[in-house]
Amino acid sequence: MSAREQREPAPLGPIIEFLRVLRTRLDGGDGLAASFGGAAMALPRDARESLDTAVRRLGGRYTEDDWGFDEEFAEAVLPFLEFMYDRWWRVHSEGVGRVPAHGRVLLVANHAGIMPWDATMMGVAVMREHPLPRPPRFLVLDWAFELPYVSVLMRKVGGVPASPFNAMRLLEQDELVAVFPEGVKGAGKSFRDRYRVQRFGRGGFVEIALRTGAPIVPVAVVGSEEIHPKIAESRLLARLTGAPYFPITPTFPLLGPLGVVPLPSRWRIEFCEPLDLSSFGPEAAADRAAVLEISDMVRGVIQRKVYENLVKRRRAFG
Amino acid sequence: MPGRRILITGIASYLGTELARILEADPDVDLVVGLDTREPRARLDRTERIDADIRDPEIARLIPPTGVDTIVHNQIVRRPGPGMSTRRAHDVNVIGSLELLAACERTTTLRTIVVRGSAGIYGAEPAAPQFVTEEMTRLYPLRTRFQRDVAEIENLFGTFARRHPAVACTMLRYQHSIGPTVNTELTQYLSLPVVPTYFGFDPRIQVIHERDALDALVAAVRNPVRGAVNVAGPGTIGLTRMVRLAGRPSLPIPSPLFGNASAIGQRLGLVDFSPDFSRLLRYGRAVDITRLREEVGFYPRHTSGGAVDDYVASRQAAAAA
Repeated sequence: MSAREQREPAPLGPIIEFLRVLRTRLDGGDGLAASFGGAAMALPRDARESLDTAVRRLGGRYTEDDWGFDEEFAEAVLPFLEFMYDRWWRVHSEGVGRVPAHGRVLLVANHAGIMPWDATMMGVAVMREHPLPRPPRFLVLDWAFELPYVSVLMRKVGGVPASPFNAMRLLEQDELVAVFPEGVKGAGKSFRDRYRVQRFGRGGFVEIALRTGAPIVPVAVVGSEEIHPKIAESRLLARLTGAPYFPITPTFPLLGPLGVVPLPSRWRIEFCEPLDLSSFGPEAAADRAAVLEISDMVRGVIQRKVYENLVKRRRAFG
Repeated sequence: MPGRRILITGIASYLGTELARILEADPDVDLVVGLDTREPRARLDRTERIDADIRDPEIARLIPPTGVDTIVHNQIVRRPGPGMSTRRAHDVNVIGSLELLAACERTTTLRTIVVRGSAGIYGAEPAAPQFVTEEMTRLYPLRTRFQRDVAEIENLFGTFARRHPAVACTMLRYQHSIGPTVNTELTQYLSLPVVPTYFGFDPRIQVIHERDALDALVAAVRNPVRGAVNVAGPGTIGLTRMVRLAGRPSLPIPSPLFGNASAIGQRLGLVDFSPDFSRLLRYGRAVDITRLREEVGFYPRHTSGGAVDDYVASRQAAAAA
């Protein structure tokens, strides 16, 4: 934390030096490639490394796992997400240590906003504050995978289309998986209904946990519901863009692209005690009543923790 | 115990000829028959050839006397070649399968059918499961003509299998193959001087190495299972990474313009993308290969990434020579 703050901002000096050496070598009659090579030597070591990385990636020499998760890319965007975590939303997280360090785990959280900021902030919390950090995979609203760039970004940082098959397979591979059972109902609720956790679909996440024997860790996220306060929605624009709903916030679409910038609310994320369902056995997944009951219980835990954290947070902004 | 008698359709293709060559060398195989209007790609020693068109009703008279116990259907046109209309490809695929099944009805010695079908039946969907399994063909509507053709072929063979419980019918669903020898829509795409892509899309692509494609077919002939089996190299490779490894510059085209751009390219004779391939370039597709491993007992030697590496290496070697 403190080391990060002391790191200097990217200085212009090395860039000027790079351009100077490049120009001298070009004037000296060297080839373009040789000049670039020579000039690159004038850069400080970390800049040289990032240049190497960029060149290597342009040659296709990087790895993505079967799901399209690109660890190197995820690490590269982490500083930006950490900025959002530390400075923009001043996230206070609690109980990260309760997330089991190994094996399959299902994180279940409340959800707001069409952009999965809450998922990424949960990810930062785990990556930063867990003693044995591992990148969580999260289920994203299908619609994101029809969008240019958003689709690529999502999969590179660990998002997969929200499908029970994907969740099952990830858990069977002993991953840490985050789901938002409220789905579109959570993402599309209006500002007036904030922090009222919606119905948890048909309890599909419980079936998945029962089938795979993964413990459920309920997560309450407070703050995410103020970043894009939805005051109305436009059916027409939703139909034109193919979006599941089209939110109208005080800043969007009034300020255009600038309106997409999330408001700097104050956040709290609480990871609750894991719920071990392994005693039920996988057969319980077929038991409708049990599934709905567990689903309701998890929803109850999250709702209670959301209210508690709302009280603890005191003010939404400032 | 007498050895197996095997008929292969589409023997002039790379896979058809190579499969015949492997089966010829197998002492447990008594007879190999090839059905095609074209010559095999290489000289085959003891393969008998039936020079007939698969769409010709005559094959119902020609096949039964061979007394084959196994038919490998390797004549499903994934993409019409030069001079072949989509209409004719559809005819070969659907009418060809129909005539072949008519011949199968009369071949009382028949015990096994292996079809080299296509994973194209799943289409390419943005929200599809990241690894589709064999029972997921009905998650989405069949959007393209080729998808409908494959579905119809599967239906024809499925009906035949139900009516003839003594015959084990394996429907292999192949992903695109890639390798030094084969010429597929994918290898043609990667050979373009500038490779068009969808702006802002980098789908996960799954391929199978040509050698693995062949060995999977051999494995299915030796160990036939009933029903559909996905065939692909394990894992996936991002399209961007694949294009970069192939050393091709890419030309990102915004999706609303992609259709027009490829239509213009087609008019000029530069590119020729099937609607299936265009969707694949946008959304990608990957399949689960648990059945291939556990029931057919075949493990592909190349992952999807490894197959692309091998293809790129062989092409670089060819360029250097």
